[in-house]
Amino acid sequence: MVANVSKAAALLALASVLATPAFAKDKLVINSYGGAYEQIHRKLVIEPFQKKYDVDVQVITAYSADALAQLRAQKAAPQFDVIHFSGGQEVVAAREGLIGPIKAEELTNARDLYPFATEGLARGEGPVHAVAAIGLLYNKDKAPKKPAKWADLWDPAYKDHVVLTDLSNSYGLLGFLMMNKVKGGDIKNPEPGFEAVKGLLGGAVVVSTSPELQQNFAQNDAWIAPYAQDYAYTLRKAGLPIEFVQGAEGTPAVYLTANLVANRPNQELAKKFIDFSLSAEVQEGWARELRYSPTNKATKLDEALAKEVVYGEQAVSGLMRFNPLDVDANRASIIERWKKLIAR
Amino acid sequence: MRDRAEDLALASPGILLLAFAFILPIAEMLRLSIVGHDGGTTFEHFTRFLTDPYYLGIVWRTIYLSIIITLFCAIVGFPLAYVMARATPSLRLWLIVLIILPLMTSVVVRTFGWMVLLGRGGLIPFTLWKIGFVGRNFTLMQTEAAIVIGMVQVLLPFTTLSILGVVMKIDRRLEEASRTMGASFLATLRTVVLPLAMPGILAGSLLAFTLSVSSFVTPSLLGGVRLPVIAGSIYESATKTLEWNFAAAQSVILLVGVLLALTPYIKLSGRRHG
Repeated sequence: MVANVSKAAALLALASVLATPAFAKDKLVINSYGGAYEQIHRKLVIEPFQKKYDVDVQVITAYSADALAQLRAQKAAPQFDVIHFSGGQEVVAAREGLIGPIKAEELTNARDLYPFATEGLARGEGPVHAVAAIGLLYNKDKAPKKPAKWADLWDPAYKDHVVLTDLSNSYGLLGFLMMNKVKGGDIKNPEPGFEAVKGLLGGAVVVSTSPELQQNFAQNDAWIAPYAQDYAYTLRKAGLPIEFVQGAEGTPAVYLTANLVANRPNQELAKKFIDFSLSAEVQEGWARELRYSPTNKATKLDEALAKEVVYGEQAVSGLMRFNPLDVDANRASIIERWKKLIAR
Repeated sequence: MRDRAEDLALASPGILLLAFAFILPIAEMLRLSIVGHDGGTTFEHFTRFLTDPYYLGIVWRTIYLSIIITLFCAIVGFPLAYVMARATPSLRLWLIVLIILPLMTSVVVRTFGWMVLLGRGGLIPFTLWKIGFVGRNFTLMQTEAAIVIGMVQVLLPFTTLSILGVVMKIDRRLEEASRTMGASFLATLRTVVLPLAMPGILAGSLLAFTLSVSSFVTPSLLGGVRLPVIAGSIYESATKTLEWNFAAAQSVILLVGVLLALTPYIKLSGRRHG
């Protein structure tokens, strides 16, 4: 049986060698996140890159956690060249030697990036190519006033019209960690956050997915919800009067990173791809299409667009990040504690 | 001997399917449920579930909601099935089509429909508010009532059709005899039709019960995260916190629970037919 399988595998390998044309184009294998994101990803980065360098880019749809699992499984023979993460997995991947270091000199766009975007290079992580900011979404037609800070969630003016997101959702988790921080806790001590949320639950709805959030703003008379800036744009496109506000206490950010997979033959081309993702033109596209904030200082946005992302030195200085390693280590216990808190 | 070979050949696609799509995954699930963090054998996942009031609360909610849902399905399904059985064949056909039609739409889509009807400002809360029963902000969404309403709609066809099959076989002359003996319509229904239809009602209820304890889409959409049920809890553990072993242990507990619910029925129906 085993002999048969290996014989078949050998035949297949032979067949694929024979099928490959002698002058094959260089090929990169990357991951993307599917859906609207992947469509825009193809349009802004993948297709222009293929054209510019006359190469093939194969896209495999894999979310961050899944992508990390695949990298781990393929450690002996990695199949990806560039891997994108959005949940801080690059910190873990770098520690495990799954992704390789990139020097700032190897990226022509590196000098234009904000310092936070290249900070990880020294630790062997890839650069940040876009940011999704977490703040407060509010209904500008119905809410009695515009929120300014995270603490406003507890303002009685919004009672019965607050929407919280379940922590199984990564935006929900970041929103909660921020509420916890505002109330004096930290990742290792989430009790102040839970106490504060307990006080909100009587006048709040808890949802677990983005479409449910949309439904609450559309039909359930929701006024305010901690969530991501790019989703505020999705809601506006759906015709809802939703604005995004950066909470005064800080803006937790989801870093979208592009990482170089270790032990792959085509690293030079992979670095070019990562560099391409960092260019001002590509980042302008992400801001325009999906309202992800640029990490490249040279990115030029028109005035209206600039207001809908985190743009400019001052706004960027409000961005903050919870240590991905701490988040990863405490995620399961925080989620279980949360579930027990919200269950009726 | 040749007969047996032919039988085997005929049954083999089914047996293979069962082996690969059912027995193998179940075996894997049983194995996963007793694997600990360090890879050794352990019952910690079962202990964690069975000693925590939060998880026991989830079990209790799942069971009593399923019982309510099953009762509603039986109470609505029996008269419906009786009417269908006694209608003319062409009317019966239309009624069956009417009952089956909702099954042609995905449960998710139907549940979204309920979300619109039951939400704040939706048809039902709005009407109740206009009549003056409830406040402006009243909503049925994210309540146990919403789960029951949604699930009864999903499961009613299964119960009704199971009962219909049995009621169709009841000899009409028995009812006529009962009526000529002076029993009223309702008395006939209660003393003649209902007992004879019991196997169908039991089978339909069992179907509704087992489907509703393991259902996941409708409770999670209509009840929301604050009213967790077992299937939702398994989903969370498997996909959100990635605790596969704990998810497997919960699945084993659900499986055992369903088997326990099936046993009295199998005994009961065995006695009737055996």
